[in-house]
Amino acid sequence: MTSTARPLPVPDEQSAPFWEAAARHELVLARCGRCELLVHPPDVVCPHCGSTDPQFRFTPVSGEGIVRSWTIVRQSFLPGFEVPFTLVDVELDDQDELRLIGRLLDPPDGALPLGTAVRVAFEDLTEEISVPAFVIKASA
Amino acid sequence: MSGRLLASNKVAIVGYGQSQVERHSDKTLGALAVETARACIADAGLRPEQIDGYVSSSLLPSAGSHAAVDGVNFVTANWLAEHMGGHATYATGFQGLGQIPGIVSMAVNAVSSGAADYVLVQRALNNPTRGSYHANAMTEISGSQQWTAPQGFFGPLAMIALSYNEYLQRYGATREAMAAVLVEARKNGSRIPWSYWHDQPLTAEEYLASPLIVDPICRFDCDIPVDGVASFLFTSAERARDLPNPPVYVSGFALSAPSTWRLPLHWPLDDIMEVGADVARRLYESAAISADDVDLPQVYDGFSPFIYYWLESLGFVGRGEAHQLALDGGLDSDQPGALPALSGGGALGNGRMHGIPQMLECYLQLAQRAGPRQRAQASIGLACHSSPHLGGAVVYSATPY
Repeated sequence: MTSTARPLPVPDEQSAPFWEAAARHELVLARCGRCELLVHPPDVVCPHCGSTDPQFRFTPVSGEGIVRSWTIVRQSFLPGFEVPFTLVDVELDDQDELRLIGRLLDPPDGALPLGTAVRVAFEDLTEEISVPAFVIKASA
Repeated sequence: MSGRLLASNKVAIVGYGQSQVERHSDKTLGALAVETARACIADAGLRPEQIDGYVSSSLLPSAGSHAAVDGVNFVTANWLAEHMGGHATYATGFQGLGQIPGIVSMAVNAVSSGAADYVLVQRALNNPTRGSYHANAMTEISGSQQWTAPQGFFGPLAMIALSYNEYLQRYGATREAMAAVLVEARKNGSRIPWSYWHDQPLTAEEYLASPLIVDPICRFDCDIPVDGVASFLFTSAERARDLPNPPVYVSGFALSAPSTWRLPLHWPLDDIMEVGADVARRLYESAAISADDVDLPQVYDGFSPFIYYWLESLGFVGRGEAHQLALDGGLDSDQPGALPALSGGGALGNGRMHGIPQMLECYLQLAQRAGPRQRAQASIGLACHSSPHLGGAVVYSATPY
Protein backbone atom coordinates (compact mmCIF):
# COMPACT_ATOMS: atom_id res chain seq x y z
CA MET A 1 0.00 0.00 0.00
CA THR A 2 1.32 3.42 -0.85
CA SER A 3 1.09 6.21 1.60
CA THR A 4 -0.52 9.51 0.69
CA ALA A 5 1.34 11.08 3.59
CA ARG A 6 4.45 11.37 1.40
CA PRO A 7 4.86 14.89 0.05
CA LEU A 8 3.52 15.28 -3.45
CA PRO A 9 5.08 17.16 -6.36
CA VAL A 10 3.19 20.21 -7.56
CA PRO A 11 3.38 20.16 -11.37
CA ASP A 12 3.96 23.56 -12.94
CA GLU A 13 3.86 24.85 -16.48
CA GLN A 14 7.26 23.37 -17.26
CA SER A 15 7.03 20.08 -15.37
CA ALA A 16 3.41 19.14 -16.13
CA PRO A 17 4.24 16.84 -19.10
CA PHE A 18 6.76 14.95 -16.94
CA TRP A 19 4.23 14.25 -14.21
CA GLU A 20 1.41 13.47 -16.70
CA ALA A 21 3.64 10.84 -18.32
CA ALA A 22 4.76 9.49 -14.95
CA ALA A 23 1.10 8.94 -14.04
CA ARG A 24 0.96 6.68 -17.14
CA HIS A 25 4.17 4.98 -15.92
CA GLU A 26 6.16 6.47 -18.73
CA LEU A 27 9.46 8.31 -18.24
CA VAL A 28 9.80 11.40 -20.43
CA LEU A 29 12.57 13.98 -20.16
CA ALA A 30 13.05 17.47 -21.52
CA ARG A 31 14.82 17.68 -24.87
CA CYS A 32 16.18 21.02 -26.05
CA GLY A 33 14.47 22.13 -29.25
CA ARG A 34 17.71 23.80 -30.39
CA CYS A 35 20.47 21.24 -29.76
CA GLU A 36 18.26 18.16 -29.31
CA LEU A 37 20.12 17.08 -26.13
CA LEU A 38 18.29 15.92 -23.03
CA VAL A 39 18.31 18.21 -19.99
CA HIS A 40 17.27 17.08 -16.53
CA PRO A 41 15.90 18.94 -14.81
CA PRO A 42 14.83 21.47 -17.45
CA ASP A 43 16.43 24.84 -16.83
CA VAL A 44 15.86 28.42 -17.95
CA VAL A 45 18.86 28.26 -20.27
CA CYS A 46 19.90 25.07 -22.06
CA PRO A 47 23.07 23.93 -20.25
CA HIS A 48 24.35 22.25 -23.42
CA CYS A 49 23.91 24.89 -26.16
CA GLY A 50 23.18 27.99 -24.11
CA SER A 51 19.87 28.72 -25.78
CA THR A 52 17.70 31.13 -23.80
CA ASP A 53 14.69 29.83 -25.69
CA PRO A 54 15.27 26.07 -25.49
CA GLN A 55 11.66 25.16 -26.37
CA PHE A 56 11.91 21.96 -24.36
CA ARG A 57 9.67 19.10 -25.38
CA PHE A 58 9.31 16.01 -23.24
CA THR A 59 10.32 12.87 -25.09
CA PRO A 60 10.30 9.22 -23.96
CA VAL A 61 13.62 7.75 -22.77
CA SER A 62 14.66 4.16 -22.17
CA GLY A 63 14.56 4.46 -18.40
CA GLU A 64 17.50 2.05 -18.29
CA GLY A 65 20.85 2.88 -16.79
CA ILE A 66 23.51 2.04 -14.25
CA VAL A 67 23.98 2.81 -10.57
CA ARG A 68 26.69 5.45 -10.11
CA SER A 69 26.20 5.63 -6.34
CA TRP A 70 23.68 4.71 -3.68
CA THR A 71 22.78 5.29 -0.05
CA ILE A 72 20.46 3.81 2.53
CA VAL A 73 18.29 6.38 4.27
CA ARG A 74 17.69 5.31 7.87
CA GLN A 75 16.27 8.60 9.14
CA SER A 76 13.96 10.48 6.81
CA PHE A 77 13.76 14.25 7.03
CA LEU A 78 10.47 14.22 5.13
CA PRO A 79 7.16 12.75 6.32
CA GLY A 80 5.63 9.59 4.95
CA PHE A 81 8.74 7.60 4.09
CA GLU A 82 9.20 4.26 5.78
CA VAL A 83 12.83 3.69 6.68
CA PRO A 84 15.18 2.25 5.79
CA PHE A 85 15.02 2.78 2.04
CA THR A 86 17.66 2.80 -0.67
CA LEU A 87 18.32 5.70 -3.01
CA VAL A 88 20.24 5.25 -6.24
CA ASP A 89 22.06 7.82 -8.36
CA VAL A 90 21.48 6.51 -11.88
CA GLU A 91 23.14 7.44 -15.15
CA LEU A 92 20.65 6.69 -17.91
CA ASP A 93 21.84 4.89 -21.03
CA ASP A 94 20.23 7.55 -23.24
CA GLN A 95 22.94 10.19 -22.88
CA ASP A 96 26.29 10.65 -21.11
CA GLU A 97 25.92 12.07 -17.59
CA LEU A 98 22.12 12.09 -17.76
CA ARG A 99 21.44 11.40 -14.09
CA LEU A 100 18.29 10.69 -12.09
CA ILE A 101 17.97 9.96 -8.39
CA GLY A 102 15.22 7.73 -7.08
CA ARG A 103 14.39 4.92 -4.71
CA LEU A 104 15.59 1.42 -5.49
CA LEU A 105 12.47 -0.62 -4.85
CA ASP A 106 14.17 -4.04 -4.70
CA PRO A 107 17.49 -3.49 -2.93
CA PRO A 108 19.65 -6.62 -2.65
CA ASP A 109 20.37 -8.15 0.75
CA GLY A 110 24.08 -8.02 0.03
CA ALA A 111 26.32 -5.60 -1.78
CA LEU A 112 25.08 -3.24 -4.46
CA PRO A 113 28.09 -2.77 -6.76
CA LEU A 114 28.51 0.51 -8.60
CA GLY A 115 27.61 -0.11 -12.23
CA THR A 116 24.63 -2.37 -11.43
CA ALA A 117 22.07 -2.13 -14.25
CA VAL A 118 18.65 -0.78 -13.29
CA ARG A 119 15.46 0.31 -15.02
CA VAL A 120 12.77 2.78 -14.11
CA ALA A 121 9.68 1.75 -12.14
CA PHE A 122 6.92 3.87 -10.68
CA GLU A 123 5.42 4.35 -7.26
CA ASP A 124 1.75 5.35 -7.28
CA LEU A 125 1.28 7.94 -4.55
CA THR A 126 -2.26 9.01 -5.51
CA GLU A 127 -4.66 8.51 -8.43
CA GLU A 128 -2.92 11.36 -10.26
CA ILE A 129 0.65 11.21 -9.03
CA SER A 130 3.23 8.52 -9.67
CA VAL A 131 6.89 9.01 -8.86
CA PRO A 132 9.75 7.48 -10.87
CA ALA A 133 11.90 4.98 -9.00
CA PHE A 134 14.15 2.10 -10.05
CA VAL A 135 14.40 -1.68 -9.90
CA ILE A 136 17.37 -3.90 -10.65
CA LYS A 137 17.37 -4.98 -14.27
CA ALA A 138 17.19 -8.75 -14.59
CA SER A 139 20.51 -10.06 -15.81
CA ALA A 140 18.80 -12.52 -18.21
CA MET B 1 40.47 34.92 -13.93
CA SER B 2 43.93 33.47 -13.71
CA GLY B 3 47.28 34.79 -12.64
CA ARG B 4 48.38 36.61 -9.51
CA LEU B 5 45.74 38.55 -7.61
CA LEU B 6 46.40 42.27 -8.13
CA ALA B 7 45.57 42.88 -4.48
CA SER B 8 47.77 40.01 -3.27
CA ASN B 9 49.21 40.87 0.17
CA LYS B 10 47.82 44.42 -0.01
CA VAL B 11 44.90 43.78 2.37
CA ALA B 12 45.28 42.34 5.86
CA ILE B 13 43.28 41.04 8.79
CA VAL B 14 44.05 43.20 11.82
CA GLY B 15 41.70 41.85 14.47
CA TYR B 16 39.03 39.32 15.27
CA GLY B 17 36.09 38.52 17.49
CA GLN B 18 34.77 35.06 18.27
CA SER B 19 31.76 34.35 20.46
CA GLN B 20 31.32 31.23 22.50
CA VAL B 21 30.01 28.46 20.27
CA GLU B 22 26.96 27.05 22.03
CA ARG B 23 24.08 24.76 21.24
CA HIS B 24 21.73 27.61 22.12
CA SER B 25 22.97 31.01 23.22
CA ASP B 26 20.91 32.86 25.79
CA LYS B 27 21.25 35.90 23.53
CA THR B 28 19.39 36.63 20.31
CA LEU B 29 21.72 36.12 17.35
CA GLY B 30 21.69 39.81 16.42
CA ALA B 31 22.77 40.79 19.94
CA LEU B 32 25.58 38.25 19.78
CA ALA B 33 26.54 39.64 16.37
CA VAL B 34 26.77 43.22 17.66
CA GLU B 35 28.78 42.15 20.73
CA THR B 36 31.19 40.12 18.59
CA ALA B 37 31.59 42.96 16.09
CA ARG B 38 32.35 45.42 18.91
CA ALA B 39 34.91 43.00 20.38
CA CYS B 40 36.52 42.60 16.98
CA ILE B 41 36.78 46.35 16.41
CA ALA B 42 38.29 46.85 19.88
CA ASP B 43 40.71 43.98 19.27
CA ALA B 44 41.92 45.77 16.13
CA GLY B 45 42.51 48.96 18.13
CA LEU B 46 39.73 50.80 16.32
CA ARG B 47 36.45 52.56 17.19
CA PRO B 48 33.03 51.63 15.72
CA GLU B 49 32.70 54.99 13.96
CA GLN B 50 35.85 54.21 11.96
CA ILE B 51 34.29 51.12 10.39
CA ASP B 52 32.91 52.13 7.02
CA GLY B 53 32.36 48.69 5.52
CA TYR B 54 30.35 45.61 6.55
CA VAL B 55 30.32 42.35 4.64
CA SER B 56 28.49 39.19 5.61
CA SER B 57 26.91 36.06 4.28
CA SER B 58 23.64 35.25 5.91
CA LEU B 59 22.44 31.88 4.67
CA LEU B 60 20.61 29.78 7.27
CA PRO B 61 21.90 26.39 6.15
CA SER B 62 18.91 24.32 7.17
CA ALA B 63 16.48 22.26 5.12
CA GLY B 64 13.93 22.54 7.93
CA SER B 65 10.78 24.65 7.93
CA HIS B 66 12.02 27.73 9.80
CA ALA B 67 10.84 31.28 9.17
CA ALA B 68 14.00 33.30 8.51
CA VAL B 69 14.12 36.62 10.38
CA ASP B 70 17.03 39.06 9.97
CA GLY B 71 18.71 39.71 13.32
CA VAL B 72 17.12 36.60 14.86
CA ASN B 73 18.24 33.51 12.97
CA PHE B 74 20.48 35.16 10.41
CA VAL B 75 22.25 38.53 10.23
CA THR B 76 22.77 40.52 7.03
CA ALA B 77 25.51 43.11 6.58
CA ASN B 78 22.85 45.79 6.30
CA TRP B 79 21.24 44.76 9.59
CA LEU B 80 24.61 44.76 11.30
CA ALA B 81 25.69 48.11 9.83
CA GLU B 82 22.45 49.69 11.00
CA HIS B 83 22.83 48.28 14.51
CA MET B 84 26.48 49.29 14.76
CA GLY B 85 25.61 52.96 14.64
CA GLY B 86 25.00 53.67 11.00
CA HIS B 87 28.51 54.86 10.11
CA ALA B 88 28.95 52.46 7.21
CA THR B 89 29.07 53.66 3.63
CA TYR B 90 29.46 50.15 2.23
CA ALA B 91 27.40 47.16 3.37
CA THR B 92 26.89 44.11 1.23
CA GLY B 93 26.44 40.36 1.35
CA PHE B 94 27.66 37.24 -0.39
CA GLN B 95 25.09 34.95 -1.95
CA GLY B 96 25.62 31.26 -2.47
CA LEU B 97 27.91 28.65 -1.00
CA GLY B 98 31.57 29.03 -0.07
CA GLN B 99 30.45 31.94 2.08
CA ILE B 100 33.69 32.51 3.94
CA PRO B 101 36.01 32.79 0.91
CA GLY B 102 33.16 34.74 -0.65
CA ILE B 103 33.02 37.39 2.06
CA VAL B 104 36.81 37.55 2.32
CA SER B 105 37.04 38.23 -1.41
CA MET B 106 34.43 40.99 -1.10
CA ALA B 107 36.28 42.60 1.79
CA VAL B 108 39.59 42.47 -0.11
CA ASN B 109 37.92 43.97 -3.17
CA ALA B 110 36.31 46.73 -1.11
CA VAL B 111 39.55 47.71 0.64
CA SER B 112 41.83 47.43 -2.38
CA SER B 113 39.45 49.39 -4.61
CA GLY B 114 39.09 52.13 -2.01
CA ALA B 115 35.36 51.53 -1.53
CA ALA B 116 35.98 51.25 2.22
CA ASP B 117 38.94 51.72 4.57
CA TYR B 118 37.98 49.36 7.39
CA VAL B 119 35.74 46.42 6.58
CA LEU B 120 34.22 44.18 9.21
CA VAL B 121 33.50 40.69 7.90
CA GLN B 122 31.04 38.64 9.87
CA ARG B 123 29.38 35.23 9.89
CA ALA B 124 26.59 34.58 12.38
CA LEU B 125 25.09 31.11 12.63
CA ASN B 126 21.96 30.08 14.44
CA ASN B 127 20.59 26.77 15.62
CA PRO B 128 16.81 27.23 15.51
CA THR B 129 15.34 26.57 18.94
CA ARG B 130 12.18 24.90 17.71
CA GLY B 131 11.92 21.76 15.62
CA SER B 132 14.50 19.51 14.05
CA TYR B 133 17.28 21.28 12.15
CA HIS B 134 16.67 19.63 8.78
CA ALA B 135 13.29 17.89 9.17
CA ASN B 136 10.54 19.39 7.08
CA ALA B 137 6.85 18.58 7.34
CA MET B 138 6.10 19.74 3.82
CA THR B 139 3.20 17.97 2.12
CA GLU B 140 3.63 19.53 -1.31
CA ILE B 141 6.82 20.18 -3.23
CA SER B 142 7.00 22.81 -5.93
CA GLY B 143 9.93 24.34 -7.77
CA SER B 144 13.23 22.59 -8.34
CA GLN B 145 12.85 20.14 -5.45
CA GLN B 146 9.92 18.45 -7.20
CA TRP B 147 12.56 16.58 -9.23
CA THR B 148 14.14 14.97 -6.15
CA ALA B 149 12.22 15.27 -2.87
CA PRO B 150 9.09 13.26 -3.83
CA GLN B 151 11.56 10.46 -4.65
CA GLY B 152 12.99 10.66 -1.12
CA PHE B 153 16.20 12.51 -2.00
CA PHE B 154 16.15 15.43 0.41
CA GLY B 155 18.53 17.33 2.64
CA PRO B 156 22.29 17.60 2.89
CA LEU B 157 22.96 14.21 4.50
CA ALA B 158 21.72 12.32 1.43
CA MET B 159 23.64 14.83 -0.70
CA ILE B 160 26.99 14.05 0.92
CA ALA B 161 26.22 10.34 1.36
CA LEU B 162 26.07 9.72 -2.39
CA SER B 163 29.50 11.19 -3.13
CA TYR B 164 31.06 9.65 -0.02
CA ASN B 165 29.77 6.18 -0.84
CA GLU B 166 31.12 6.61 -4.37
CA TYR B 167 34.49 7.45 -2.79
CA LEU B 168 34.41 4.47 -0.40
CA GLN B 169 33.47 2.02 -3.15
CA ARG B 170 35.93 3.38 -5.70
CA TYR B 171 38.98 3.62 -3.46
CA GLY B 172 38.25 0.92 -0.89
CA ALA B 173 38.21 3.43 1.95
CA THR B 174 36.98 2.37 5.37
CA ARG B 175 35.14 3.92 8.28
CA GLU B 176 38.26 3.23 10.36
CA ALA B 177 40.11 5.86 8.32
CA MET B 178 37.34 8.39 8.94
CA ALA B 179 37.41 7.51 12.63
CA ALA B 180 41.02 8.73 12.68
CA VAL B 181 39.87 11.98 11.03
CA LEU B 182 37.15 12.55 13.62
CA VAL B 183 39.48 11.77 16.52
CA GLU B 184 41.90 14.39 15.18
CA ALA B 185 39.22 17.07 14.63
CA ARG B 186 37.70 16.57 18.07
CA LYS B 187 41.10 16.40 19.77
CA ASN B 188 41.95 19.83 18.40
CA GLY B 189 38.48 21.21 19.06
CA SER B 190 38.68 20.00 22.64
CA ARG B 191 41.66 22.33 23.19
CA ILE B 192 39.79 25.44 22.05
CA PRO B 193 38.09 27.37 24.86
CA TRP B 194 35.18 28.76 22.76
CA SER B 195 34.46 25.45 20.98
CA TYR B 196 31.20 23.65 21.60
CA TRP B 197 33.35 20.52 21.94
CA HIS B 198 35.82 22.07 24.43
CA ASP B 199 37.21 19.32 26.68
CA GLN B 200 35.17 16.72 24.78
CA PRO B 201 37.46 14.60 22.59
CA LEU B 202 36.06 11.61 20.69
CA THR B 203 37.46 8.09 20.52
CA ALA B 204 37.61 5.94 17.41
CA GLU B 205 35.44 3.40 19.22
CA GLU B 206 32.73 6.01 19.83
CA TYR B 207 32.82 6.97 16.17
CA LEU B 208 32.62 3.39 14.93
CA ALA B 209 29.77 2.56 17.33
CA SER B 210 27.63 5.44 16.12
CA PRO B 211 24.69 4.19 14.03
CA LEU B 212 24.51 5.25 10.40
CA ILE B 213 21.82 7.80 9.55
CA VAL B 214 22.19 7.98 5.77
CA ASP B 215 24.82 5.38 4.83
CA PRO B 216 27.77 5.81 5.16
CA ILE B 217 27.15 8.98 7.20
CA CYS B 218 26.73 8.89 10.98
CA ARG B 219 26.09 11.89 13.19
CA PHE B 220 29.78 12.42 13.96
CA ASP B 221 30.41 12.98 10.24
CA CYS B 222 28.21 16.09 10.49
CA ASP B 223 29.09 19.30 12.31
CA ILE B 224 26.68 20.07 15.12
CA PRO B 225 24.29 23.03 14.66
CA VAL B 226 25.17 25.86 17.01
CA ASP B 227 24.73 29.51 17.83
CA GLY B 228 27.95 31.36 17.17
CA VAL B 229 29.38 34.50 15.59
CA ALA B 230 32.83 35.42 14.33
CA SER B 231 34.11 38.74 12.98
CA PHE B 232 37.32 39.82 11.30
CA LEU B 233 38.57 43.32 10.60
CA PHE B 234 40.17 43.99 7.20
CA THR B 235 42.14 47.04 6.13
CA SER B 236 44.98 47.96 3.82
CA ALA B 237 48.52 46.76 4.50
CA GLU B 238 49.53 50.44 4.90
CA ARG B 239 46.91 51.18 7.57
CA ALA B 240 47.64 47.86 9.25
CA ARG B 241 51.14 49.07 10.17
CA ASP B 242 49.65 51.57 12.62
CA LEU B 243 47.48 49.02 14.42
CA PRO B 244 48.42 46.89 17.44
CA ASN B 245 48.21 43.31 16.07
CA PRO B 246 50.58 41.67 13.58
CA PRO B 247 48.75 41.82 10.22
CA VAL B 248 47.87 38.63 8.39
CA TYR B 249 47.84 39.24 4.66
CA VAL B 250 45.40 37.87 2.09
CA SER B 251 47.65 36.48 -0.61
CA GLY B 252 45.05 35.03 -2.95
CA PHE B 253 41.66 33.38 -3.27
CA ALA B 254 39.57 31.31 -5.64
CA LEU B 255 35.87 30.59 -5.77
CA SER B 256 34.13 27.79 -7.61
CA ALA B 257 30.89 26.95 -9.35
CA PRO B 258 29.68 23.59 -10.64
CA SER B 259 30.49 22.94 -14.28
CA THR B 260 27.69 20.47 -14.89
CA TRP B 261 23.97 21.12 -14.53
CA ARG B 262 22.56 18.75 -11.93
CA LEU B 263 19.51 17.93 -9.90
CA PRO B 264 19.19 19.93 -6.65
CA LEU B 265 21.78 18.75 -4.08
CA HIS B 266 23.25 16.24 -6.53
CA TRP B 267 27.02 16.49 -6.03
CA PRO B 268 28.66 13.55 -7.82
CA LEU B 269 32.25 12.82 -6.79
CA ASP B 270 33.68 13.50 -10.25
CA ASP B 271 32.02 16.94 -10.39
CA ILE B 272 33.52 17.81 -7.01
CA MET B 273 37.01 16.68 -7.95
CA GLU B 274 37.16 18.06 -11.48
CA VAL B 275 36.10 21.55 -10.46
CA GLY B 276 38.19 21.22 -7.31
CA ALA B 277 41.35 20.71 -9.35
CA ASP B 278 40.61 23.90 -11.27
CA VAL B 279 39.93 25.85 -8.07
CA ALA B 280 43.26 24.70 -6.64
CA ARG B 281 45.11 25.73 -9.80
CA ARG B 282 43.53 29.20 -9.75
CA LEU B 283 44.11 29.54 -6.00
CA TYR B 284 47.84 28.82 -6.27
CA GLU B 285 48.15 31.16 -9.26
CA SER B 286 46.27 33.87 -7.37
CA ALA B 287 48.73 33.66 -4.47
CA ALA B 288 51.74 32.72 -6.63
CA ILE B 289 52.52 29.68 -4.47
CA SER B 290 52.32 25.90 -4.70
CA ALA B 291 50.97 23.30 -2.30
CA ASP B 292 54.51 22.75 -0.96
CA ASP B 293 54.61 26.34 0.34
CA VAL B 294 51.56 25.85 2.58
CA ASP B 295 52.49 24.95 6.16
CA LEU B 296 49.01 25.47 7.60
CA PRO B 297 46.35 23.94 5.32
CA GLN B 298 42.90 24.13 6.92
CA VAL B 299 40.46 22.01 4.98
CA TYR B 300 36.71 22.37 5.26
CA ASP B 301 34.83 19.68 7.13
CA GLY B 302 31.15 20.58 7.59
CA PHE B 303 30.72 16.99 6.47
CA SER B 304 33.77 14.81 7.08
CA PRO B 305 34.19 13.57 3.45
CA PHE B 306 34.97 17.14 2.37
CA ILE B 307 38.32 16.69 4.15
CA TYR B 308 39.32 13.99 1.65
CA TYR B 309 37.96 15.95 -1.30
CA TRP B 310 39.88 19.13 -0.37
CA LEU B 311 43.16 17.36 0.50
CA GLU B 312 43.10 15.67 -2.90
CA SER B 313 41.85 18.70 -4.87
CA LEU B 314 44.57 20.88 -3.38
CA GLY B 315 47.26 18.34 -4.27
CA PHE B 316 48.40 17.47 -0.73
CA VAL B 317 47.82 13.82 -1.69
CA GLY B 318 46.86 12.05 -4.90
CA ARG B 319 43.29 11.21 -5.93
CA GLY B 320 41.86 8.49 -3.73
CA GLU B 321 44.76 8.62 -1.25
CA ALA B 322 43.48 10.91 1.52
CA HIS B 323 41.80 8.11 3.43
CA GLN B 324 45.09 6.19 3.59
CA LEU B 325 46.90 9.31 4.81
CA ALA B 326 44.35 9.61 7.61
CA LEU B 327 44.60 5.93 8.51
CA ASP B 328 48.40 6.19 8.68
CA GLY B 329 48.25 9.10 11.14
CA GLY B 330 49.28 11.63 8.48
CA LEU B 331 46.77 14.21 9.74
CA ASP B 332 47.96 14.16 13.37
CA SER B 333 48.85 17.82 13.87
CA ASP B 334 50.91 16.97 16.98
CA GLN B 335 53.36 14.92 14.91
CA PRO B 336 56.25 16.62 13.09
CA GLY B 337 55.98 16.01 9.39
CA ALA B 338 52.24 15.33 9.46
CA LEU B 339 49.79 17.61 7.65
CA PRO B 340 48.13 19.84 10.29
CA ALA B 341 44.96 20.12 8.18
CA LEU B 342 42.60 19.99 11.17
CA SER B 343 44.74 21.82 13.73
CA GLY B 344 41.99 24.39 14.28
CA GLY B 345 39.43 21.67 14.95
CA GLY B 346 37.34 22.63 11.95
CA ALA B 347 33.58 22.59 12.04
CA LEU B 348 33.58 19.01 13.32
CA GLY B 349 35.64 20.09 16.33
CA ASN B 350 34.01 23.48 16.97
CA GLY B 351 30.40 23.31 15.77
CA ARG B 352 28.64 24.48 12.60
CA MET B 353 30.54 27.74 12.11
CA HIS B 354 30.94 27.12 8.38
CA GLY B 355 34.49 28.00 7.24
CA ILE B 356 35.18 30.19 10.27
CA PRO B 357 37.33 27.70 12.25
CA GLN B 358 39.60 27.28 9.21
CA MET B 359 39.94 31.04 8.72
CA LEU B 360 40.38 31.75 12.43
CA GLU B 361 43.10 29.11 12.77
CA CYS B 362 45.00 30.68 9.88
CA TYR B 363 44.63 34.11 11.45
CA LEU B 364 45.58 33.11 15.01
CA GLN B 365 48.57 30.99 14.00
CA LEU B 366 49.95 33.41 11.40
CA ALA B 367 49.51 36.39 13.75
CA GLN B 368 51.27 34.38 16.52
CA ARG B 369 48.13 34.78 18.64
CA ALA B 370 47.21 31.10 19.17
CA GLY B 371 48.38 31.06 22.80
CA PRO B 372 49.20 27.60 24.14
CA ARG B 373 48.21 26.13 20.78
CA GLN B 374 50.74 28.26 18.87
CA ARG B 375 52.60 26.25 16.24
CA ALA B 376 56.30 26.77 15.63
CA GLN B 377 55.85 26.78 11.88
CA ALA B 378 53.00 28.90 10.51
CA SER B 379 53.86 31.19 7.62
CA ILE B 380 51.43 30.36 4.79
CA GLY B 381 47.89 29.30 5.67
CA LEU B 382 45.12 28.04 3.42
CA ALA B 383 41.48 28.09 4.53
CA CYS B 384 38.75 26.26 2.60
CA HIS B 385 35.01 26.36 2.77
CA SER B 386 32.15 24.25 1.40
CA SER B 387 32.73 21.72 -1.37
CA PRO B 388 35.66 22.09 -3.78
CA HIS B 389 33.16 22.44 -6.65
CA LEU B 390 30.82 24.85 -4.90
CA GLY B 391 32.94 26.83 -2.50
CA GLY B 392 36.38 28.28 -2.39
CA ALA B 393 39.59 28.85 -0.52
CA VAL B 394 41.83 31.70 0.64
CA VAL B 395 45.62 31.82 1.05
CA TYR B 396 46.97 33.86 3.98
CA SER B 397 50.53 34.92 4.70
CA ALA B 398 52.28 36.14 7.84
CA THR B 399 54.51 38.36 5.70
CA PRO B 400 53.88 40.20 2.43
CA TYR B 401 55.90 38.65 -0.36
